[in-house]
This record gives sequence, structure tokens and C-alpha cells, in this order.
Amino acid sequence: MPTITFSLKDIQKLVGKNLTIEELSALLEFGKCELEDYQKDEDEVTVSLGDTNLPYLWSVEGIARMIKGILGKEKGCPKLKTAKGPYKILVDPSVAKVRPYIAAFVAKGCKVDDYLIKQIVQLQEKLCESYGRRRDKLALGVYKYDKIKFPIHYKATHPTSTSFIPLDFKKEMTQQEILEDHPKGREYAWILKDQKKLPLLVDDSKEVLSFPPIINSALTGKIEPGDENIFVEATGTDMDSVLLAINIFAYALSDRGFEINSVEVKYQKKKVVTPASFDDSIKINFANVRKMLGVDINDAEIRKSLEKARYDTAKDSVLIPDYRRDILHEVDVVEDIAIFFGYDRIKESRLSSYSLGETYPLVHFIDKVRELLIGLSVHEIISPILSNKEILYNKMNLKDFGTVEIENMMSETYSVLRSWLIPLLLDFLSKNKHVEYPQNIFEQGLVSVRDVDEVYDYERVAVVLCSEKSDFTKIKKVLNALFLALGLEYKIEEAAHGSFIEGRVGRVSVAGKKVAYIGEMHPSVLQNFGIEAPVAALEINLTELFSLVGKK
Amino acid sequence: MANLDVKKIIRSLHPLERKIIPYLDKYNSMNSLKNITKLKDVEIMRALQWLTNKKIIELKEDSKEIVVLGPNGKKYLSEGLPEKRLLEALRKGQLTINQAKAKANLSKEELNIALGVLRKKAAIFITKERDLVIKMMDQGKNILQKGFMEEQFIQKEFPLSVEDLSPEEKFSFEQLRRRKDIIKLELVKTKTFKLTDLGKEVVKENVEASDIIDSLTGNILKTSAWKGKAFRRYDIEANVPKLFAAKKQPYRRFLDEVRQSFLAMGFKEMTGPLVETEFWNMDALFMPQFHSARDIHDAYYIKAPKQAKSLPMDLVRKVAKVHENGAGTGSKGWGYAFDFKKTQQNLLRTHDTAISPRILYSEKLEVPGKYFQMVRCFRPDVVDATHLPDFNQTGGFVIEEGINFSHLKGLLKLFAEKFCESDQIKVKPGYFPFTEPSAELMAKHPDLGWIELAGSGIFRPEVCRPLGVTAPVIAWGVGLERLAMFKLNLKDIRQLFSYDLDFIRNARVI
Repeated sequence: MPTITFSLKDIQKLVGKNLTIEELSALLEFGKCELEDYQKDEDEVTVSLGDTNLPYLWSVEGIARMIKGILGKEKGCPKLKTAKGPYKILVDPSVAKVRPYIAAFVAKGCKVDDYLIKQIVQLQEKLCESYGRRRDKLALGVYKYDKIKFPIHYKATHPTSTSFIPLDFKKEMTQQEILEDHPKGREYAWILKDQKKLPLLVDDSKEVLSFPPIINSALTGKIEPGDENIFVEATGTDMDSVLLAINIFAYALSDRGFEINSVEVKYQKKKVVTPASFDDSIKINFANVRKMLGVDINDAEIRKSLEKARYDTAKDSVLIPDYRRDILHEVDVVEDIAIFFGYDRIKESRLSSYSLGETYPLVHFIDKVRELLIGLSVHEIISPILSNKEILYNKMNLKDFGTVEIENMMSETYSVLRSWLIPLLLDFLSKNKHVEYPQNIFEQGLVSVRDVDEVYDYERVAVVLCSEKSDFTKIKKVLNALFLALGLEYKIEEAAHGSFIEGRVGRVSVAGKKVAYIGEMHPSVLQNFGIEAPVAALEINLTELFSLVGKK
Repeated sequence: MANLDVKKIIRSLHPLERKIIPYLDKYNSMNSLKNITKLKDVEIMRALQWLTNKKIIELKEDSKEIVVLGPNGKKYLSEGLPEKRLLEALRKGQLTINQAKAKANLSKEELNIALGVLRKKAAIFITKERDLVIKMMDQGKNILQKGFMEEQFIQKEFPLSVEDLSPEEKFSFEQLRRRKDIIKLELVKTKTFKLTDLGKEVVKENVEASDIIDSLTGNILKTSAWKGKAFRRYDIEANVPKLFAAKKQPYRRFLDEVRQSFLAMGFKEMTGPLVETEFWNMDALFMPQFHSARDIHDAYYIKAPKQAKSLPMDLVRKVAKVHENGAGTGSKGWGYAFDFKKTQQNLLRTHDTAISPRILYSEKLEVPGKYFQMVRCFRPDVVDATHLPDFNQTGGFVIEEGINFSHLKGLLKLFAEKFCESDQIKVKPGYFPFTEPSAELMAKHPDLGWIELAGSGIFRPEVCRPLGVTAPVIAWGVGLERLAMFKLNLKDIRQLFSYDLDFIRNARVI
């Protein structure tokens, strides 16, 4: 979840009310945000943002705009005031294959200080990282307006054809060199992998503004305290996202008192003036609202809630602010009505229909097996389902018999789904060598076995008996007791299995179906785990066994 | 009274106690009791401990020095001391040093020791002729006749108490002590005891007591031999060896109880596979294919099989349309081109909600109906005190014509009562990609204070319509790990899957 920081004083100024931190905390809930921290000495508020579909709230200006609606300081859908600027961006067809879309605006007439720069950079970074999927879908650039000669040219060029001095560096570099040697280049090079031409933004005097989405130029690509005029652009792979990001940014700076000047973006076949209004509205049926919420809320109250939530209402539809693209369905508006009406004002109703609680039959069977094993004085343990091949096979003197392996594992320890349970029990024993014996334990749980293209989950149970006197007889007694109680007759035949001592391992079958292994663990296996006493073990496939019980 | 006490005590005496009581006024050490009763050390120890508990004796622990034989001492006990062997060899006349060494079968070291000792006792005389020659002197003959004091000493029964040595023994002890490994001094703790006043009374009585039954046997029952006899009274306060009841793993027990709660509330349990497709895990829940939760950082993908073969393609096509343009659900859709290859991609189930669309699509779905699932889920995280390699999630849904947000609040309140013993709740706005409206439940736990207990919402029409569901569906998930940790008194979440047998054995069943 993204978090942002800002000062309490600042939001008080933006809202026009001296909110206490407690009041702020309560108001944040309307936007699914949460107050994480408040450092009184530094006047720093930290807020986490719960809804990834509401990026306009990732700025103090956006949060303040929401709060003004709740407090009634402003009503309905805000409209951005823009001055029609003479500014143009000419989009060269060469960007179509690498990063086709761009939007921009010029903000004028407001002196920036360190705090405001921090806020601007914060919004830029949050939009790029979270909403822009680490700059892939979307990236923003902020520049000193005064040094730019319009029109701006957006094109894709050969990686070594242009050099400029990137931010944080002193020498000129080609785009190729930036991708290889600049820290930001290395961090984001994956976005442009395999591209023959790379995006470039240059002004009319051929001065490079930036190499989107990697890095700005040192000359223009940085705003400093005292600057009054700013140029902001967004590039990306999705037109809607690029426009939305520019709108969010323009509304935020407009709320700060900047004059927003539009920029005309000329593609080969079309022109888009940005910031652009989506003029987005959605039909809404007030009867549906009452039905969905289960609350007797009249039309006037619905309209009041909608205005608080910063929609404009028409007869049967609402107008959506241009900084929101999350409204896909009437239900999204219904939620806003509920939130701004107040969740706490909706009463609780109990469900009245009758239903029979039940679990699936295998659960009952599993619980019977667990109960019987506990009755045989065996302690239950549970392990993670994620395990590794070292434990499951190498230490067990066994070849992989079909394992689901994780492609993007975090650590070798948890890199596969367990395919059987006995190794996990041995691992458990290896960690309890100095604890009182006998150590008799079992685990019941899921394993996954891969057979070429299919994966099968089985509920299994495994038992290990570990003490100086553990042997085949002891574990067979457990098997007998279990199957006797379950009313099952089994056959046992000698089996070959590398984890057990030859001649002391059997395959158990019921009604011709193989359901279990039983035997004494091989000394080399025990040594692999560092276990210091003999172990007799049993593992039963309960899924298979249950299918047989069912048929009986 | 005193007399009654004594009688009661006598009736509670264990056979081992009865065996040693007659000697308690004559002896005061374990060793002496051992000699006279022929009981084993451990038996005497136990009897003395019980007698102490009964306040018949007072046990005193002393430490004292004792003498035991060293390795050479044991050797000389069987072979004879070197000086004795040398003197014996000289009995029939003088010998050269080499002859004497051979005849007495001495090592070089032993020879030197023997020569030293015997010369000091003036038992031999060494002259230089062609070789060095040893002759026995009168004193030597004398010693041969009387025997060596040192030899008599090592023939004693060890261990010996240093305090108890006679002056002569003390002299031999001092001599031998200077020599290598013949005797050793050890500090041992010994238990001595003395009778208490009560004990003195008890000793006077006849404790043989044939009319007391120690253990009830089948034979006694059969013959009714117990009639008219008393049973030995036990010290029921005495400690016994530890025994552990085998039991359910504590966290599993907790989950069993949670299952029971849901069954009691009328929910039906469902489950699904560990390896899921992106389709059921995300697409069917209207999470767009570009959603950040589908990043490789937030889901485990598997090496093989990469693709699932068995998806209901009719449904997949419907879902794809809804993603693209809403397809008659009243939604605008996400407005992108749905990737049919991606939807078939396998991953490890990231959340329990993956099961819900499967059930909603199933022919067995009952309306009205209540469903839940309790399943293991997987997400890439570094394992630490707050993150498990894989974790349990519990969630489900309620489907019924006419239910709405107020029922959702009612359900959340029920969960707060059931799992948190709480009637104070706050329902806050929340965000889930598949529900609208969405809500989070905060409940005031009596010990933990306000905790986030559940997330919920009404499934979006974009989720329900393609599955063929028209009735409203309230979806919910409850977070129980924090409650489990509180209940089991754990600080580290990894202990839910504890690999500590002591912890498992000692876990309380609560």
C-alpha cells in the first residue's frame, strides 16, 4: 500500500479549517486512507492509501479536495480552470512502437519552496511507481518552464544518436550509456528492453528535456525553490492513464493557486488538448441505491451525499470528476453514496433464511483419522506446504517423483509444494534431538504431486515413531489399529523404496488400490537428517482411502 | 493424638520403608543400611526420601573425603606391589639389577620405584661389583615375614573414609598417596540421617504389619483376602513422573473450532486446488489483467505445468468480454484486450476468494446459501515474525435474493460476536477489486482493543453476471491469525507451525 507524508498545517490551509489530527484521521476514512503516524515536532502526517483505484488521493491536495466536500466547503464536481496556452507538442510517428502517448500542461505564477517541491515529487513518484506500474505504463516529468523553447518534439531516436547531461551527472551521455551506466537507467532499462529506438523529448532549440521514462536532463529537468513556472508531461502506453495522470497533477497544482495552461498534443492524425476533460457520466437509479444499501434514504439525501462525494447530479445520472477513472458501474457510485451518507447510519439486519451448516465428507474422515492417532498417543504437528527438494528427495535417497516447483521463489527453503509428508516429520525430529523420547508425531495435510501436465492434490497423513525401540512391529500396530477402527481390510506386500530399509518396507493396498507406505527408515536417511534414534514411519493417502470407504 | 498419628503413619509405610525402619536407630548412613538390608541404592534413597517427607527422619547431606584405588592401585592389588615382588625375587640370594628386574617381572619404572622404597626401608643393599648387585638385609627378611603395610592397605574394601583411618592406616595412606595413581582422594556427598521425635515413636512400633495390603491384586480380590485388612496409605501429594497427553496441534485445534463456528452459523464448507489459474484466482473476480496484485512480486507462478488445460471456455469468453467492455452487465469494463493465454496461466492460490467464483458457477450452488472456505494460500514474502511461508485464509459468501448492505453489516456484527466476543464494532469503507460497496470490520476485542477482523463487500455485477448469478452476493473474509496468536499466547507468527516438540507437548488445551 502506498503511503504519503505532508504537513498538518498545509492541509489545514488547503481545507480552510484548523483540523485536529483526530478530525483528520476520521475524515481520511472516507477515502479508505488511514492515518499511520503524526510527528508533532516536524509537523509530519503519514497516511496510507487503501484504494489503488483512486490515485488522486495520493496527494495532499487531492485529500484536501475530498475533505472540502465532506465539510461542505465545496459542493459537487470540481472543474479545472485552464487558460488556452500557445504550447504544442509534436508527436513523431516513431514513438508509436515504443511509448505512443503523451500529455502535458504548463503551470504558472506560484513560487515553489522546498516543501512544495517535495509534495510535487511525491505525487510524481507515487503515480509513476504504483499507478504507472513502475513507470512502464506511465511516467511523469516535471521541468523548469522558463528554459524551454516550444514547440516540444516527442520522438524515438537511435540509442547512440543523441547525448545530453542527465540529472545527477556531470557529463554528456548517450541514451545507450544512460541505460548501462546511470543508476536510473539500470533500474528502468527493462521497460525498453529490445527496443531499437528510444523515446526522447527535445525542445525547439534541440535541447533535450528528457529521456522518458528514464531520466530528465540536468539542464531543465529539475525545479528549484524560487521557480514560478513549471512544465509537466506524462508519457505512457495507455492513453487514458496518461490523460488521467495529467489531470490529477493539474488539479493538484490548480488547488495550489497555479494558473493551468493547456498544451496541444499533435499526433499524426489527431490533436488532443491536455488537460482534457473526460466528460464522464454514469446513469444512476435511486431505487437501486435504496435496494442495495437496505436503507430508507430519500432522493434529496442521495443527492446531498453525491455532492459531498464531489459528483454533479443530473436527473438520472451523475457527472464524474476528471481526476477519477474508477467508476465503471453504478455500484461504484452507490458505494460513494453509502460512504458519504455514513456507513454507521445504515442499520444492521440479520439474515433470516435457514441454511444447514455442513462440511465436505472428506473432512469428517480426516478428523476421524486424526482422533484415532491422538488416541494412540501420537502428537499432531503442522508444517508449511512450501518445502524444498533437498528435504523431500535428496535427504530421503529418492528421485523427484513429480513436484510443483515455484518459478519466482523467494528462497530455496520454500521453493516447491510438498509432495509427501514423512520428510517433514523427519525434519521436525531433527530439530528435537534433545527432547524426551519416545517422539511419536503425525501430520495430516495436503500434498501436491505433478504428473506431466496435471497436478493432483491429496490429503495425506504421515506418522513417525522415534525411539530406541521403534521398529516395524510398532508402526504396523498403528496401521492395524487405524484400519481396524475404520473397518478396512488391507493387504501388504514388500516394496522397493530408497528411504526405507530393504526388506522392512511395505506397500499397503485396500481393494486393490495402493494407499500407503510403511516401514523402517533407512539409517542413511536418518543420518542425513542427523536423527539419533531409529524411526518407523507410515504415510497414507486419505483422499484415495476415502474414495474406497465411500464405495463400501 | 500422637498415638493416632503414629498408627496412621505406620499404615502409610511403603514396603521399602518398612524394611529399613527397624535399623534406623542403629545406623545413620546409606552405606550401612545397604549392607544390612541388601536393598539397592535407589531403593534406599527413595525410602529415605519418603521417610523424610513423613517427618520420621531428618536427612542431612555431608560431604567427606574418601579414598579409592587408582589404576595402579587396582593393578598392584592383583599383581602385588613392585617392592614386594622385588623382595620376593631376592629371597633366594642376591641378584644383579637386570636379573632382579627379569625375575620380578618389573618395568623399568616399577624397578626404580621398588628400589627407592626398599632402600628407604633399609630392606636392601646395593653394591657395585662387575654389575650392580642387590642384596637383601635383615630388615628385608623381617618385612617379608610380616608383610607390607601398604599392601595390606590396598587390600582393604574401598571406598574408605579418610576420617575413619587408624594411625597405621593413615601412615600407609600418606606413603601411597605420594606415589603415582595408586590411590585417589575424592570428595563425596553422603547422606546421613537421624530419627525425629516422631521417628523414635515409630521405630518402637512393630512395622512388619502383616495386616496391611500394599497392592491390591487379582488374587486378593478373588479370595477376598482384603477383608478385615487395611490398605497402605499413599502419600498422595508425592510427585509422579511426567506424562503428556497426545493432542491436536494447537493452531489446528483453533482452526477446527473456527470451522465449527461457521458450521454452527449455517455455512457450508467448500475447497479448491492449491494450484490455481489466473482465471479463477483473478479474472473471474474482475481483477484486470494489468492489476498490480498480479505482479510476479505478489503471486507465485510455477515452472510446470505453466498452463491449465481444463478451463470452461464458454465462461472464460464471457468473462473476457466483461473485462473488455462490460458486456451487458451495466459496466464500462476495463477497456483493454483480454489475454486468453494469461488467463490459463497457473499460479499458487493467492487468496481464499479464488474458490468463490468456482462455487457460484457450480451446478450445486444453492440459493439462498451460505458458503465458507478455510484454505492455505501463498504469496511471496520474506518469512519473519509476521510472515509465514504459507498461511490460512478463511472467507466465503452469502447468496440470497433481496439481501443488501445492511445484511452485510449484520453478518459482520455476528462475526464480531462469534470470534471476538465483541458487541462493539465499526464498519469502515474498504477496497477490494471484486466488491462494491466494500467494507472493513473493526471489532473491540476485550483484551486486544480495536482490531481489524474482517473485510467484506457485495460482489460486483461484473463478477456475478458471467457466472450466471443474479441474486446479491455478500462476500467476506476474516483474519484469524492475530486472534490465534493471542489465544495461543504467541509473539512470533512462525510458532503457529511450531517445530518445537516441547511447545507442542506442553501446549494447553484452551
